[in-house]
Amino acid sequence: MPLSRRRLLKGVAAAAGTAAAGAAGLTAETVLGGRNEPGRSLPVDRVVRTTCSPNCTGSCGQLAFVRDGTIVKIQQAADYPDAVYNPRGCMKGISYHLLVHGADRLQRPLIRTGERGSGEFREASWDEALDLVATRLAAIGEQFGWDSIHVFGQVPGSGYVHKGANYRACALLGMTHGTSFDFNGDLPMGMPITFGVQNAEHEAKDWANSRLLLLVGANPVDTRIPDAHFLWDAAEQGARIVVVDPTFSATASKADDWLAVKPGTDAALGLALCAQVWADGAADRDFLATYTDAPLLVRSDSGVRLREADLRTGGSPARFVVWDVKANGPAIVGTERLGMPAGVSPSLTGTRRVRLADGSGVEARPGWDLVLEELAHWTPERAAQVTELPAERIVRLARAYAAAKPAAILMGGGSNHWFHGDLTGRAFALLATMTGNIGRSGGGFSVYVGQYKVRLDWSAWTSPGGTKAHIVPSIYFVRGRTETMHPSVPYPKQGFHGLVCTFANMFVQAMDVNRLWQTLAGLDLIVVVDHQLTDTAKMADIVLPATTWYEKTDLAATPLHPFLQLQQPAIPPVGESRSELAIWQELVRRIAPATYEQYMRLTEEQAIELMLAKGGAAEGITLEQLRAGPVRLKVPDPDIPFLDQIEKLVPFPPRSLPATLEQTAAFLPTRRIEFYKEEVRFRDLGEAVPTWKPPHDDLVQGASSHPLTLLSPHSKWRIHSTHSNNPWLAEIHGGRPFVLLAPADAAARSISEGDEVEVFNGRGRLRAWAHLSPGARPGSATLHEGWWPRYFAAGKGVNELTSSEVNPIHEVHFVANMWSPSTGWKDCRVEIRRVGPGVGAPAATTGAVPGGAEGPRDG
Amino acid sequence: MADVSPVEALPPASRAYGELEPPTAAPRFGMAVDTERCLGCWTCAVICKSENDVPLGMWWNRVLTDGEALDTPRQAADGSLALSFVPLSCQHCDNAPCTKVCPVGATYHGEGGLVLMDQERCIGCRYCMIACPYGVRVFNWGRAERPAVGETGMVAARPVGTMEKCTMCLHRLHDAQVPSCVWSCPAGARIFGDLADPSSRVSTLVRERNGQRLLEERGTEPKVYYLEPRRRRSL
Amino acid sequence: MSAPALPRPTGRAMGPARPRVDPRLAAWLATLIALMAAGGGAWLYQQWNGLRVTNMRNTFMWGNYILFFMFFVGLSAGGLIVASSGRLFGATRFKPIVRVAVLEATVAITLAGTFIVPDLGRPERLLHIFLFANLTSPMVWDVTIVLLYLGLSATYVWLYTRADLAGRGSPLALGTGTSERALRRDDRLKGALAWVALPAAILLHSITAWIFGLQIGRTFWYTAVMAPMFIASALVSGLALVILLALAVRWAGRLRFDDGLVPYLGGLLAVFIASEAFLLFAELLTAAYPGAPAEGQAVTRLLAGPYLVPFLGETAFGLLLPFALLASARLRRYPAVVALAAGIAVVGIFVHRLNLLLNALSVPTIALPPGLSIGVGQAGSVGLPGAAFATSYWYLPSPVEWLVVGGVLALGAFLFTVAAWYLPLQEPDHH
Ligand SMILES: Nc1nc2c(c(=O)[nH]1)N[C@H]1C(S)=C(S)[C@@H](COP(=O)(O)OP(=O)(O)OC[C@H]3O[C@@H](n4cnc5c(=O)[nH]c(N)nc54)[C@H](O)[C@@H]3O)O[C@H]1N2
Ligand SMILES: Nc1nc2c(c(=O)[nH]1)N[C@H]1C(S)=C(S)[C@@H](COP(=O)(O)OP(=O)(O)OC[C@H]3O[C@@H](n4cnc5c(=O)[nH]c(N)nc54)[C@H](O)[C@@H]3O)O[C@H]1N2
Ligand code: SF4
Ligand code: SF4
Ligand code: SF4
Ligand code: SF4
Ligand code: SF4
Ligand SMILES: [Mo]
Repeated sequence: MPLSRRRLLKGVAAAAGTAAAGAAGLTAETVLGGRNEPGRSLPVDRVVRTTCSPNCTGSCGQLAFVRDGTIVKIQQAADYPDAVYNPRGCMKGISYHLLVHGADRLQRPLIRTGERGSGEFREASWDEALDLVATRLAAIGEQFGWDSIHVFGQVPGSGYVHKGANYRACALLGMTHGTSFDFNGDLPMGMPITFGVQNAEHEAKDWANSRLLLLVGANPVDTRIPDAHFLWDAAEQGARIVVVDPTFSATASKADDWLAVKPGTDAALGLALCAQVWADGAADRDFLATYTDAPLLVRSDSGVRLREADLRTGGSPARFVVWDVKANGPAIVGTERLGMPAGVSPSLTGTRRVRLADGSGVEARPGWDLVLEELAHWTPERAAQVTELPAERIVRLARAYAAAKPAAILMGGGSNHWFHGDLTGRAFALLATMTGNIGRSGGGFSVYVGQYKVRLDWSAWTSPGGTKAHIVPSIYFVRGRTETMHPSVPYPKQGFHGLVCTFANMFVQAMDVNRLWQTLAGLDLIVVVDHQLTDTAKMADIVLPATTWYEKTDLAATPLHPFLQLQQPAIPPVGESRSELAIWQELVRRIAPATYEQYMRLTEEQAIELMLAKGGAAEGITLEQLRAGPVRLKVPDPDIPFLDQIEKLVPFPPRSLPATLEQTAAFLPTRRIEFYKEEVRFRDLGEAVPTWKPPHDDLVQGASSHPLTLLSPHSKWRIHSTHSNNPWLAEIHGGRPFVLLAPADAAARSISEGDEVEVFNGRGRLRAWAHLSPGARPGSATLHEGWWPRYFAAGKGVNELTSSEVNPIHEVHFVANMWSPSTGWKDCRVEIRRVGPGVGAPAATTGAVPGGAEGPRDG
Repeated sequence: MADVSPVEALPPASRAYGELEPPTAAPRFGMAVDTERCLGCWTCAVICKSENDVPLGMWWNRVLTDGEALDTPRQAADGSLALSFVPLSCQHCDNAPCTKVCPVGATYHGEGGLVLMDQERCIGCRYCMIACPYGVRVFNWGRAERPAVGETGMVAARPVGTMEKCTMCLHRLHDAQVPSCVWSCPAGARIFGDLADPSSRVSTLVRERNGQRLLEERGTEPKVYYLEPRRRRSL
Repeated sequence: MSAPALPRPTGRAMGPARPRVDPRLAAWLATLIALMAAGGGAWLYQQWNGLRVTNMRNTFMWGNYILFFMFFVGLSAGGLIVASSGRLFGATRFKPIVRVAVLEATVAITLAGTFIVPDLGRPERLLHIFLFANLTSPMVWDVTIVLLYLGLSATYVWLYTRADLAGRGSPLALGTGTSERALRRDDRLKGALAWVALPAAILLHSITAWIFGLQIGRTFWYTAVMAPMFIASALVSGLALVILLALAVRWAGRLRFDDGLVPYLGGLLAVFIASEAFLLFAELLTAAYPGAPAEGQAVTRLLAGPYLVPFLGETAFGLLLPFALLASARLRRYPAVVALAAGIAVVGIFVHRLNLLLNALSVPTIALPPGLSIGVGQAGSVGLPGAAFATSYWYLPSPVEWLVVGGVLALGAFLFTVAAWYLPLQEPDHH
């Protein structure tokens, strides 16, 4: 483009003078009428490619522009070989330098001088702080056992090296590592129950291949900013987008249709959709017979499945029985391969009488028959009563969904973050499966939640010398063990006495924080590692300043796209901050010098090489490639789960790293997609087949005394609590928490716009400000999660109100972060009352000018 | 020591991503904003603040909510709800009221038909601000206030008492790179290019998607077009 | 035939002003100086910190300073009307107050010009207006006409007073004499000047009106009536102020004219007010009638919105009341009443200008939330900036703005007082 280039460069000459002109007000240039134009970009020291990965799932490649040791601009790298992913990033990622160099940035170790939580600290040298932490940890280790120290480190996907270092240190010292995916309420328990996997999402770009996208409790426009456009790409190809959300979310506003479901009733909708699809004869029976437990016979007497061992002595207890309509008799089905034995055509319905080995007979029905029995209750009318959606729209949705091939279901935290979120998951898994959408590009049942995913075998890094860390679900740290806790959970004999919290604003983001505070009061030691002085850090005895991902090397991945990426230091550590690995190295050296010498003297790069060396999805990927930019993992393109199962009839489940296949296979005795769960507790609780149960908190807090459901979805303006204190974003949304209320609910409580209100229930109370929105659902209030407590008028934040109840179904098996208690954030009943006139419109309170702004609002 | 051009220093893949579509000999640079794709995320506004070192309280680019309040839908008489976004920065009007009224020609039509600012000439009378129907000009009322990080950005700060606004990132165009907000829009909702070239991507989209201009009736002839949303197909 | 013998300068009015300043005058001047000092200080403070110390913002970018600029441009009309119409339409009854009138015009236009300076973000670049004059900018036209008008009215003052000054041997006579020929030349020049002055006055107000009236961006201003309305309101405020000053100067004993003049001036003022009121009505009707959104809004804001009070102030108080007072021939006879009416009219016109500003600027053309970026960081909660956008904005001048305005007003009062005290204001009468 030489011609045009020359033309463009013309401006530069004039520009050269700019700097000079800038210096002296009225210059020769201006007098002579010369122009002072923005000429060329100002120079920088360097531009460094790294990866933005808070607990967000974006995992977006970013470029850090550094000038005089300061990051002066962050902008998307937009260097993905798969161009559809360019540019990845959002307004938060590109303004992270405001936090890196921000007012709340931690720069030196702090040792508590005042009461816990008083925020009174003195700065200390690293040596003093580390010595103190080491001796205190050792003391607890000696007295109560090392396993009584809980290390909380949040989801691994955002940084395998340093989050892995937590596991490594736990393994070496015998400390207990906590959990995150379940703790975050993100673990969609419907997945392990149905598919035997931790979770299984299609990569985001595959949305564009869909003909119909059914979004259930997902708000990608706010929570998947870099990926939302794949929805529009699909729409441009003629796909239809349907959003199920109680509130008129940003995503709902862009959808073809919006179903304002009653909170906590998605399962009822899902079941009604399945029932309708079946009634319309639109179900894919072959798919059910081939891949699921639908044809497997279940004994009517015991409710357990009929096994080969029941029929003939010496038969295997791990082989199952179907009713072959051709032979009009039972046929044995193994677990080594999906599908049916040659010639067998199984029946999906009807009660049969089967002769057992001992000659007696027993009645048995295909699992599908039991599913249909449940579906029979879910007429559109019944579902309409429960979900408060018009029956005919449910029917129309069922038909549109069944007609569209492929059709994708995108489930999000909104419908997963419920005590019975597993039932919702099972219902929609059933819908996707019975329409043959599993393992198909543009289809699938994907639950998009946190950045939990361990995409490569990292055991060489996390399990030094093969020793694994004990892992205890952190919910048990918060509220103590439950009666129904799975026996294999390594809960410390003497309970917990110390906490090391890294990568998490735990005391703000955890459920039921008032109860958590009681637990904390009983601890001998709280150490918090963070790079910001969060309210969690404020509660610590010792605060250790961490580096950000602009100051260290790490390896990141996400479920949303299959690219492995490096985090590389753009600037030297701010202040005296240090990386987690460096911190653990120093602690282990002090506590167990020999162990340190043997296992902890590795650099970040060596750690990465250890992980890459394990091959698998990382096969052939080198550190050099990663330094240059993102590298696609060895996964199918597009990256779709269950391909081996659907195409090669390999039994379910595929392996979920870092667990072993055996561990998760135990969830699926049939090695097929299971809709009938024969474990006793499922049957005792009436959840053997997918069903719907009312929100749990309606019973705990009481629906009448606490008439409002408090939804605490994720804000587009923050990543959880991160960016609560981002000055640029505050200029947009006003910098204070608003409770979104339907005008009717507000009026009933004589609350008007901007009023200060108290939100309370049996667990806690907080004060924020009311914003009336026609988009809010009558009967439910929305307070976006994550606001730092200091921005509220009073209280410890939204999680004073949320519940730490444990669903016993989540305790039937135990594999950390895979079958483990998942939190129900949205399952929360509250009442709201007016406190006072409050702030009116935010900008009106800012005093600097008599001007009054109208309603900047926290999204 | 800062001595590298931020464009020269870009990794090759990133630099290729930002390459300008080759303009004609006499370009008319303009933009199309796809209101269907726009997420209302303000990434374009924030990167603008960063790229151009726009101080606190000042925004060259903002994303208006077509609703009752920020991120809040509007309810129609029939009870139906609607929410959409209008990203708004200088429209680089061909018939720009601001350049007409500027007593000293400190705001003027420069390269590529862009409306530019000469802060060394500006006397700070704010007449251009009165004249601009789009409210996209911002004035340096006092000394620049910045967040703790201090000066950000790729261009020099502007002196107190002068006017500033979107430059269409002219400093980037000189390096044949697209404007920063166009680069950063995660939804691909901002399309920059040469309106003088009928075959450019922007011209094509404006033609095919029936691009509309804001306050068309004022005859300001903006060079920013807004692409209509698609028709919804309810169940 | 020879020209009529002109009255020769009379000793009385000619004698130098009182030899010593009387204490009341001294006190008055001292106060003015104090106010000017305060104003100057405030302006320096504003220069140091930038215009952020005013309450103007991106959401309301023109305030007190421009308001007073408009207002004083209007006020400056009085002088030349009186002077030139005296000449052109033989309205000889004006004669006794003609010098006060031209002096008023000179001071008023000086202030108008002065008010531009503190409004600029970069006053030290004022020269740019000439170095880089952009001829399509009404502001350039306006600065030009303001300077021209200043020159004209100053010349007027000199022409009318020079003979007496010469008689008094004052250097301000610039060496001119009091000979018959000189006086006759004065007379010719006055005649000629009148022909320039009237169109100049018309232009001055029209151009000032066009600064606003040509802005398609501001629908409330974008109307052809703007210029006529500015002229009309200028006539009102200008004449009203002349009346007030004339009476004041007479009270101060520096001028004599018989009460017969007062009702005449009052009647004229009533006519001016009527025409102004008519234009205002015509304007509002045209704007409101189609109910077009933009214009409609502005008007509803006037009639229903937050601006009802100032609007009533403008119409009922500023126009109807004085008109009522002056319409009746009986009331007109009392100078006190005329003075009162004139005073009210001046205030009324001020409020009229105020409304003009408030209405066009308080709500942006595109008023979608969150609105315009205010322009300065807003203090929010716990170390965070608050929302930096506003869709509507209620402007009230800051103390600094008031001090600066006060200072400039004091300057005007000072100039007028000194001039009135030093210059011979009495036109020689015929008998
Ligand atoms: N900007 C931003 N992005 C994020 C995050 C963030 O904090 N900020 N966090 C990341 C993480 S870790 C996660 S887990 C995800 C979570 O992000 P999402 O999966 O989008 O989940 P939420 O934002 O919690 O809720 C989404 C929608 O569900 C609706 N909803 C609430 N209750 C119900 C219900 O009972 N039924 C239905 N159908 N809908 C309901 C809410 O109104 C909301 O609009 O976002 C990720 N992305
Ligand atoms: N009420 C309610 N509560 C919720 C949710 C909800 O929907 N409603 N959502 C839940 C969900 S889905 C999730 S995923 C959780 C998220 O909970 P968290 O992950 O705890 O929330 P964040 O705010 O992301 O906290 C991350 C912290 O890590 C710090 N950090 C960032 N980088 C580093 C680093 O390199 N080193 C160290 N040491 N620290 C670093 C940040 O400063 C920040 O303080 O919140 C849960 N809480
Ligand atoms: S915050 Fe999340 S979406 Fe935004 S840039 Fe960072 S990773 Fe990407
Ligand atoms: S960045 Fe793109 S999607 Fe986001 S607000 Fe701007 S234009 Fe809209
Ligand atoms: S948008 Fe406003 S500032 Fe930009 S060119 Fe048009 S009138 Fe001028
Ligand atoms: S503020 Fe500057 S750019 Fe705007 S009109 Fe005045 S001189 Fe021109
Ligand atoms: S083109 Fe450049 S200056 Fe204009 S809005 Fe976009 S980023 Fe800002
Ligand atoms: Mo999450």
